[in-house]
Amino acid sequence: MNNVSSNQILTTDGIPLEISLKKSERRNKIKSFLLVAPLLLFIIVVYISPIVNLLTRSVDNTLISTLLPKTYIALEDWEGKNLPSEEIYKTFFIDLEIAHKAKISGKVSTRLNYAKGGFKSLINKTRRKLENFEDSNYKSQFIEIHEKWGQLEYWQAMKSAMPKYTYDKYLNAFDYEKNFEGKIVEKPKDRRVHKMLWLRTLKVALGVTFCCFLLAFPIAHLLATLPLRYSNLLMICVLLPFWTSLLVRTSSWMILLQQQGVINDILVYLKIVSNDNRLELMYNMNGTFVAMTQILLPFMVLPLYSVMKTIPPTLMRAGKSLGGTPFYSFRKIYFPLTFPGIGAGSLLVFILAIGYYITPALVGGASGTLISNRIAYHMKETLDWAMASAMGTILLVSVLILYWIYNKLLGIDNIKLG
Amino acid sequence: MKNMLKLALISIFFVPSLAFAEVNVVSWGGAYTESQKLGYGDPYQEKSGVKINWIDYSGGLSEVRTQVESGNVTWNIIDLYAKDTITGCDEGLLVEFDFDKDFPAAPDGTVASKDFFTTMPSKCAVGNILYSWNYAFNPNAFPGQDVMPSTIVDFYDTVTYPGKRSIYGSAMSNIEQALVADGVKASAVYTVLEKQAGALDRAINKIRTLCEDPNGGCIFWTAGAQPPELLASGEVVMATGWNGRFFNAIVGEGTTITQVWDGQILDYEYFGLITGSPNQDEAMEALRYFTGTEGLAGSAKYIAYAPWRVSSLEIIEAGEPWYKDGTTNMMPNMPTAAANTQNYILMNPEYWADNETEIGEAWEAFKSSL
Repeated sequence: MNNVSSNQILTTDGIPLEISLKKSERRNKIKSFLLVAPLLLFIIVVYISPIVNLLTRSVDNTLISTLLPKTYIALEDWEGKNLPSEEIYKTFFIDLEIAHKAKISGKVSTRLNYAKGGFKSLINKTRRKLENFEDSNYKSQFIEIHEKWGQLEYWQAMKSAMPKYTYDKYLNAFDYEKNFEGKIVEKPKDRRVHKMLWLRTLKVALGVTFCCFLLAFPIAHLLATLPLRYSNLLMICVLLPFWTSLLVRTSSWMILLQQQGVINDILVYLKIVSNDNRLELMYNMNGTFVAMTQILLPFMVLPLYSVMKTIPPTLMRAGKSLGGTPFYSFRKIYFPLTFPGIGAGSLLVFILAIGYYITPALVGGASGTLISNRIAYHMKETLDWAMASAMGTILLVSVLILYWIYNKLLGIDNIKLG
Repeated sequence: MKNMLKLALISIFFVPSLAFAEVNVVSWGGAYTESQKLGYGDPYQEKSGVKINWIDYSGGLSEVRTQVESGNVTWNIIDLYAKDTITGCDEGLLVEFDFDKDFPAAPDGTVASKDFFTTMPSKCAVGNILYSWNYAFNPNAFPGQDVMPSTIVDFYDTVTYPGKRSIYGSAMSNIEQALVADGVKASAVYTVLEKQAGALDRAINKIRTLCEDPNGGCIFWTAGAQPPELLASGEVVMATGWNGRFFNAIVGEGTTITQVWDGQILDYEYFGLITGSPNQDEAMEALRYFTGTEGLAGSAKYIAYAPWRVSSLEIIEAGEPWYKDGTTNMMPNMPTAAANTQNYILMNPEYWADNETEIGEAWEAFKSSL
């Protein structure tokens, strides 16, 4: 007994110090964990789980194979070169009848319609006539109901919609599709829309970020260097739109920018443009750019301001006294010191701009819709939530990649949000 | 005393839900919801004591699906496009009706299914109004013209009527009207779209020509209030839109614009009953009143949308001038009036339910290439 504990330090109650320390540390750890537990739980429930749900929805395709289980198995061996055999038609009939009786055949029709347009009415028409089916010649009875049942492409579409998990939606989000042989091909030219929208969204987000930077830098500099009573006033001017509703600000831009609007009226009054030749400032890219830049400007000004505030004015003076021209010392000393603010502001503005929705929809016109409008379209109009999830996921991943690049280039702990 | 207090406390929580049932009705807002509220919502509330809450939404089934899937249904009755009643029924989001049993007969005893103009697009739909996608123009925009626009062809004629147009932001309605303006017979539009290869391209090219024409040009509208505003502000010279909104601008607000009915698309609006809500019976009872003869006639007092029921039209005819100002006759302003239906397209919701995704992609690709 003595031998064992001879080289251990004991506390007064005879427990080795090491164990006692660990115990109290553990208690502290549990305490602090319990303190953050509600927050953690909150984050898991309202933040992590929806994102996981989003990710799974975009690849989950188990619905059709569950609702049409026998057809799923029967179609596995079908090669898709000729119309399916009588046997498969019969199997499909049995499945469809079961689904119809359970009132879930509608779900089948919606899902299949995403794979190929026309399935919806096809299944709806068919299920109304299921009761009159005779127990032979299923194939010809199906084709009698609708000629589409005799077209190979509908059966191929059904088979390609069967797999339990699929990345088709992701292909679709970049205007590709898998043909029946399993090859990935580009969609027909007149139906390519997503790639262009991604590029446009990226362009707008980058452009707006750059414009915000150009405008915000002098403002923030002024804010940081003016005497307090002027800078406070200026600060309120920056913050006032920040506190105003997004919709109000967008609609005020509409009043200003439209062809019969304030700006055009002034230009006509000053005889800069003629009355028949009013400028088109809205319902195109101009409108989106101007309105989004103004709306997102505070997100750039505030981080920049908070960084500039901490740069001692003596540094610039020191630079000048050492022989640098004002521009040279600005470029070499002041500007590099504002990088954390520029980084934070750009990241904020870019991330907000890439998911922007209302403003482009209102002032963007035909050439102003962005990828988020497309996501909303799938959420609300077609109810193809898998497609919306896939696009949402891509948006999320691209923002994460951007964050990663930023971290590699500038270091994320360098960021200053104000 | 203490017990009394407890009882009072408990009653605060429980009694309201027993004594005053509430029914939540979801619709499109603006002048339209107003007409529904004044036309049948308020009268029903007065009559039955059931409180009717009006909620605005902007279309689509996403909220309904969320509510039904999560089992927390707070909406009861919803105002829907035809294609959404089909999808909603397919997805099991809406209650299927036993039409003649669920809805009251006309005053003269005609069963409900015979009193409505046509059959419903799905078992979950009950008709509400007929409205029109027509167009209107600003007469001040063509000072030198003796003949004002009168046909759908004129809408695309930028030589005689130069100036910008405003058209709906989605493909629905534009495709059909473009084909008719391009010479397709109005009654054959959907057959052509389904059977003829390249019909969709033909329609889109027609619209592209209009939008790329330096004398023309397009502004796309998304909210029903926009077309009259764009016309009134002089931003565009012609705009397609919903006839009730044009009527409101002309009669209600005195804007100088003129409606053109040639090539209009007659479309229907429906009510659906959402499945799985706690007070299904009260909701059904309210819906029965809304879509009854008197209910539908009532809403037509406030907006120029035609009621679905033949018997409601008779009430309006007998009660002219039916508009709330007491001087305007409603019948000539209805999209169903004989003078307005000389050349019209009947909306085919099944076509849109089937092909929405594909056409939507082609349409977006077109818009973004402008």
